[in-house]
Amino acid sequence: MSLRKPNTPVIGLEIHVQMKTGSKLFCACSTDYIGAVPNTNVCPVCLGLPGSLPVVNRKAVEYAVRTALALGSRIGYSTRFHRKNYFYPDLPKAYQISQYDVPLAVGGQLPIGEGKDRKWIRITRLHLEEDAGKLVHSARDGRLGNSEYSLVDYNRGGVPLMEIVSEPELSTPCEAREFVSRLRQLVRFLGVSDGDMEKGSLRVDANISLTGPDGELGTKVEVKNMNSLRSLERALEFEIARQQECLARGERIRQETRHWDDGKGLTCGTRGKEEAHDYRYFPDPDLPPLVLSPDFVDDQRSLLPELPWDLKERLVMEHGLSLEDASVLTELPGIARYFEECLRKGATPLRAANWIRTEVLRVLNEKRISIEAFALSPEKLGQLLARIESGLVSTTLAKELFEKMVDENLDVDEALQKAGSPSGKVTGNDLRKMVKLVLDRERATVEEIKQGKDGKGKKRSYLCGLVMRESKGQADPAEVGKILEEILDR
Amino acid sequence: MKAVEIAKAVKEARITAVEITAKAIERVRRVDSEVRALLTPLFERALEKAAEIDRKIENNQDPGPLAGVPVVVKDNLCMRGLKTTCGSRMLENWCPPYDASVIRFLEEAGAVILGKANMDEFAMGSSTENSAFFPTANPWDTERVPGGSSGGSAAAVACGYVPLALGSDTGGSIRQPAAFCGVYGLKPTYGLVSRFGLVAFASSLDQVGPFSRSVEDLALAMNVLSRPDPADATSSRRERPDYTACLGKEDLKGLKVGLVSEFENYPVQPEIREALAKVEAILRGAGAEFVSVSLPATIEAGLPCYYILAPAEASSNLARYDGVRYGISAKTENLMDLYMKTRGLGFGPEVKRRILTGTYVLSSGYYDAYYLVAQKARIRISREFREAFGRADLLLMPTTPTLPFRKGEHQDDPIQMYLSDVFTLPVNLAGLPGLSLNAGYSSSGLPVGVQFVGPKWGEETLLTAAEAVERVLGKPACALGGE
Repeated sequence: MSLRKPNTPVIGLEIHVQMKTGSKLFCACSTDYIGAVPNTNVCPVCLGLPGSLPVVNRKAVEYAVRTALALGSRIGYSTRFHRKNYFYPDLPKAYQISQYDVPLAVGGQLPIGEGKDRKWIRITRLHLEEDAGKLVHSARDGRLGNSEYSLVDYNRGGVPLMEIVSEPELSTPCEAREFVSRLRQLVRFLGVSDGDMEKGSLRVDANISLTGPDGELGTKVEVKNMNSLRSLERALEFEIARQQECLARGERIRQETRHWDDGKGLTCGTRGKEEAHDYRYFPDPDLPPLVLSPDFVDDQRSLLPELPWDLKERLVMEHGLSLEDASVLTELPGIARYFEECLRKGATPLRAANWIRTEVLRVLNEKRISIEAFALSPEKLGQLLARIESGLVSTTLAKELFEKMVDENLDVDEALQKAGSPSGKVTGNDLRKMVKLVLDRERATVEEIKQGKDGKGKKRSYLCGLVMRESKGQADPAEVGKILEEILDR
Repeated sequence: MKAVEIAKAVKEARITAVEITAKAIERVRRVDSEVRALLTPLFERALEKAAEIDRKIENNQDPGPLAGVPVVVKDNLCMRGLKTTCGSRMLENWCPPYDASVIRFLEEAGAVILGKANMDEFAMGSSTENSAFFPTANPWDTERVPGGSSGGSAAAVACGYVPLALGSDTGGSIRQPAAFCGVYGLKPTYGLVSRFGLVAFASSLDQVGPFSRSVEDLALAMNVLSRPDPADATSSRRERPDYTACLGKEDLKGLKVGLVSEFENYPVQPEIREALAKVEAILRGAGAEFVSVSLPATIEAGLPCYYILAPAEASSNLARYDGVRYGISAKTENLMDLYMKTRGLGFGPEVKRRILTGTYVLSSGYYDAYYLVAQKARIRISREFREAFGRADLLLMPTTPTLPFRKGEHQDDPIQMYLSDVFTLPVNLAGLPGLSLNAGYSSSGLPVGVQFVGPKWGEETLLTAAEAVERVLGKPACALGGE
């Protein structure tokens, strides 16, 4: 590794990803704890009752292996589980089943940045472990210190987690943010996690230090409790500034864990003395080594979808999309699938990209729904866009039809009918009058066309659109075209 | 009556399960105030279960191979809604919401569970004196210990309360009390019997197994207990044989019995030496050959290896008793006090000693020197046994170095207590099956046991050899005037 400049931030991330396996890592209880009545998704195993024993959830292993393969990690064909021993009320066995010396996968990398700015951030390891329960403190501010009592909810206890650790190769808060964002995108594409930081299904801890005068690594500080990409970035910015000020004052950085307070916008050290944890890791005797057959791993490899960064590149190279369009369309797997479905129905890539960005995402935002819950199927949007393409529907009319199709769950023809009458109701002499009316208003354009200044036919399309708007979509664009031709070429 | 005979009589409606159960209850009532084998009698429930068996018989349904057989189970096996104390204050009133797999297997086979048997707290001990509630007496001399930790189960069978009982064996906890109480005790190969619902002491060593007063009953019990269990990831999926099929073999020609050369000069009480010689003569008489095998690492490292690994696992397994969810809970003002006071009150001295030892050997800075070295020793011991079983089909060894000792004799000297496991615990380290059988009585009337050890999955060989001895010596006697 190249020597770093002095005073450069060195950031490494530890990311816990909750996997949506349906059942917990070592028992059959549901993982769907959000909104569930406390302590209802529990059984003797995830409550750690005396005599209960864990059995590994195959699906969790599949999901983790799939993620590791997508990251290009080396799969450990024989790995094992360790016990991480510590006392806390949210940990019912007083140990967490995790992986230690032989993780499920090591190595691999994740790309951030684009084109020549692309940087591959290496992955240290990926391992499986179980989540803990949740403490609910009685104080109004939810803080332990101010609480008279605390309650424990074990619904989350035993939910499968992948811990993914990056090498300390990120050097700005922005890079860290992008790394998490790319990883989130990946797990969503793989369908292994919601990747929702706000809901805690993706949790990030950051290790950060500043290099010394000779570029050597400084003392690292761990920052926790960032619940969004934005707070991750803010926390790192704050922490870098804090450490720089510390050093400028001639103080030494203390190795510690600091909590990000999103409200106050600062990190604070854990009060009191830092307790040196000795987790007394040892191999869990209840679980035999996890041995993966090459066939199992191959099966998981065959289930990998096109990876988001490959897809993005393809959209740019193959369909000529701008990098920005491609980024927006590949942020969520559902959007990417939607886009490609639209193309299959005859929409052109640029128009589809544009419509999805401006119209579809707008509606999703307004309604606060995901693309999966969006009423208008990509087939229907594809048909609508194809009509624009073939000049059958003007863009203006198409936007009106789009609203109808979304609101009333219609296809193009139904929407046209609903618009009052079937396509072409304004026809014959009525339509001719309407065209003349429009042309009267647009003399300048007509003049230009007559002078042959409409090589690409854009001006004709423009006029056609105006007529369609005038007819409130009740005209047949083909007929409009024909009438326009007659008049203009006369 | 043997379990086999009871099941047959009940199935043929010559006697009802309720009658059998009532008789067993009567026997307990007459004798148990002296022996105190049972922690929690389940008499009413047993009579109800027995009545269910009888109804099945009336309706021509098959109640299973243990139809109406009264059974006692060690109190570290979970039974839904019933107290499962593990002999500890910590779980004094804890009722699990589920059945251990072996409990389910027993009841599905028609067995009638008569009660939960006393034990050393969390199965840590060799005398049942570490029970938080009361010690159990040796039925042959109530001033002496019945062995442990499954002392209650062994005593219950020795007194004839029941023909079968379940214990658990982590370092000898079935075989040592079987020897002290003069009954059969079988510790199966690790992975043969499900541990689901067995409250863990040391997970890589624990195994559930039966006590009986006849080899045939032992085999029958194994047929019921030995089933693959998807709820236990360490349960072997291999197919199980019919364990009664290996019985009835009078000729042992071709059977090679190994004697461990290192044990020849090991300090063992003369009665036990004599018993070994007697059993050797019987096996030779039946046609078996004897060979010498060597287990140097086992003798040297077995005991320390065990007393590192078992406490290490125990310290982690017992960490969950923190007063937060179940069991006793100290009234305190803060979390750290809750942990310390609850665990201080809930655990007895031996359990605390092992938790401390285990925590120590797993701590950073000591892990490599203790835990890791012990793991290596364990692998070596396993290899040594494997090599020995290249030469012999089974090993004949003492179960214990001494006859049952007096109550209180080793209470102040844990090392002396640990030494009583020297012949049993290597078998757990190597995950092998071990069968302790009675080979007669000392001049003072105390039972004398010896042990057969087999290769992995070698239970049938042990049963065949034990039956050959039984054929000559007869079935073990019943203590305290039972039948």
